[in-house]
Amino acid sequence: MKNDNKRLVTVGIFVLIGIAILVVGILTLGAQQKAFVKSISVTSVFDDVGGLQTGNNVWFSGVKIGTVKKINFYGESQVEIEMNIESSAKEYIKKNSKATISSDGLIGNKIIVIYGGSGQGPAIEDGDVLTAEMPLDTDKMMETLQVNNNNLVSITEDLKILTHKISSGEGIVGAVLTDSTLVKTFKATMQNLERTAANSNRMTADLAKFSNGLNQKGGFVDKMLNDTTLFASLKTTAAQLETTSAEASDAAQNFSSVSENLSDTDNAIGMLLNDKEFADYLKSTMSSLDTGAVRMNETLEALRYHWFFRKSFRKRDKADAASE
Amino acid sequence: MAENLKGNDKVFSRRIDNFFIGLERAFQFVKKFFIEVWIPPYEFKEVIRQCYRIGYNSLPLISLTGFIVGIVFTNQSRPSLSEFGATSWLPSLISIAVVRAMGPLVTALIAAGKVGSSIGAEIGSMKVTEQIDAMEVSATNPFKFLVVTRVLASTFMIPILVLYTDFVALMGAFLNVNVNEMVSISTFFVQVFDSISFLDISSSMIKSLVFGFTIGMVGCYKGYNSTKGTEGVGKAANSAVVMAMFLIFIEELLSLQITNFFRQI
Repeated sequence: MKNDNKRLVTVGIFVLIGIAILVVGILTLGAQQKAFVKSISVTSVFDDVGGLQTGNNVWFSGVKIGTVKKINFYGESQVEIEMNIESSAKEYIKKNSKATISSDGLIGNKIIVIYGGSGQGPAIEDGDVLTAEMPLDTDKMMETLQVNNNNLVSITEDLKILTHKISSGEGIVGAVLTDSTLVKTFKATMQNLERTAANSNRMTADLAKFSNGLNQKGGFVDKMLNDTTLFASLKTTAAQLETTSAEASDAAQNFSSVSENLSDTDNAIGMLLNDKEFADYLKSTMSSLDTGAVRMNETLEALRYHWFFRKSFRKRDKADAASE
Repeated sequence: MAENLKGNDKVFSRRIDNFFIGLERAFQFVKKFFIEVWIPPYEFKEVIRQCYRIGYNSLPLISLTGFIVGIVFTNQSRPSLSEFGATSWLPSLISIAVVRAMGPLVTALIAAGKVGSSIGAEIGSMKVTEQIDAMEVSATNPFKFLVVTRVLASTFMIPILVLYTDFVALMGAFLNVNVNEMVSISTFFVQVFDSISFLDISSSMIKSLVFGFTIGMVGCYKGYNSTKGTEGVGKAANSAVVMAMFLIFIEELLSLQITNFFRQI
């Protein structure tokens, strides 16, 4: 009898623990899959659900807020997804939110992602329909990738031709890589550049020195910048220079009118400079005067030997000789 | 089964006829169980005793097996998943494998070996030593006392053992995952319960009930119909194990189809 009771208790404990495992498992599963949580139902219509299944998760801002309840065909070829969303999450999901189909990993399960929705909009309610945003289609991505692949092929072909030309010394780059003379020239250029850089350095140092000198207290530039008396004097000089330049301008204008007059023939100097007839006349006059002067010299020489003037000339000659 | 047919009254051939006769006997045996199970007196104490033998006494063996299965399955799955850099999926993979298939299947196979053979041998030896006939003479219903109690005990104990196996196998898997991937127990069990559903648990439990019923029923049937003395006892024990295991695999296949049907609804 005692043995029977012991056996009874043992079996009771054994069964109880087994049932406890089952109950804990069911409760944990229910809590995790929100099976016992109050929820609302919303729908969304997609063109293609990409293998979404009943029971797949619904995410909002990366948090699981529900599951896919039903998948029904809708219209001609669309699919209506009915989702159960926790009531506690509904206040954060606005009526203008969108639903799209994504995946919870690179090769993970399909999920519905709810996103967007403005802050001021009203929250979703039971029976609402969310706008569906079609996800990126893998086939379309592959098509784009194929175009990229083709481009890559042509680029690599071009590159192949280019490198072949370069290796055979064609073109500037090929010449640079293969021509030894060019290398020498390049080296020389670099050396020149190095020297130039050294000179530039020196020049910069000199400039620095010079600018330091300019910055020295009491220097010309310092005075220019800081001495108000000098500035006033310079201002006066500048004003005077301005007056002088105005006067010079007047003078230049006068010179201009004088030169204009000089080019005319209605005045004495203008006629002298520009009138050919007058010049010829003057020339002949000068020639006559020259002839007259020669004859005058001859006449005066003759007068020297005239009895009337002979005596006075002799006296002058003697006086000259005495003074020497 | 050759003695089933007497004279020249065969329908097809001796072997084919014997097969159908065996089938009909099995059907009658099962039918008798479903009739007897509702009729008092209920052998409650014997049921508890059988529960103790089938359930509690099998627990150490089942637990050890489940623990080893958890560790080995995790270790063997890791290389395949690590090729994709997806070792973080190990808890999900293990939970699905253990809860849906391996837990019930391993438990049922171990129980078929341990419990099925013991029931077959026990009832078989009672049969050949004419103890069953003696019970009938002493106004005790041997079918009710021997068969109904054992079948009930195995039917209800196997699901309990499956729950233990699932738990122990998951703990073994957690130990392995924790050592290799440094996954905490909370993360592990969150991933485990994230991957399974109520359908998985319910199908696993219903399947376990069927497995338990099969083990008990096959063991009892083979033992109850054993002949040829001690040789027949060994044969009954052996064929009880073989037949139970074979039927368990068939039932596993059928349950998979039925579960998939419900999964798609």
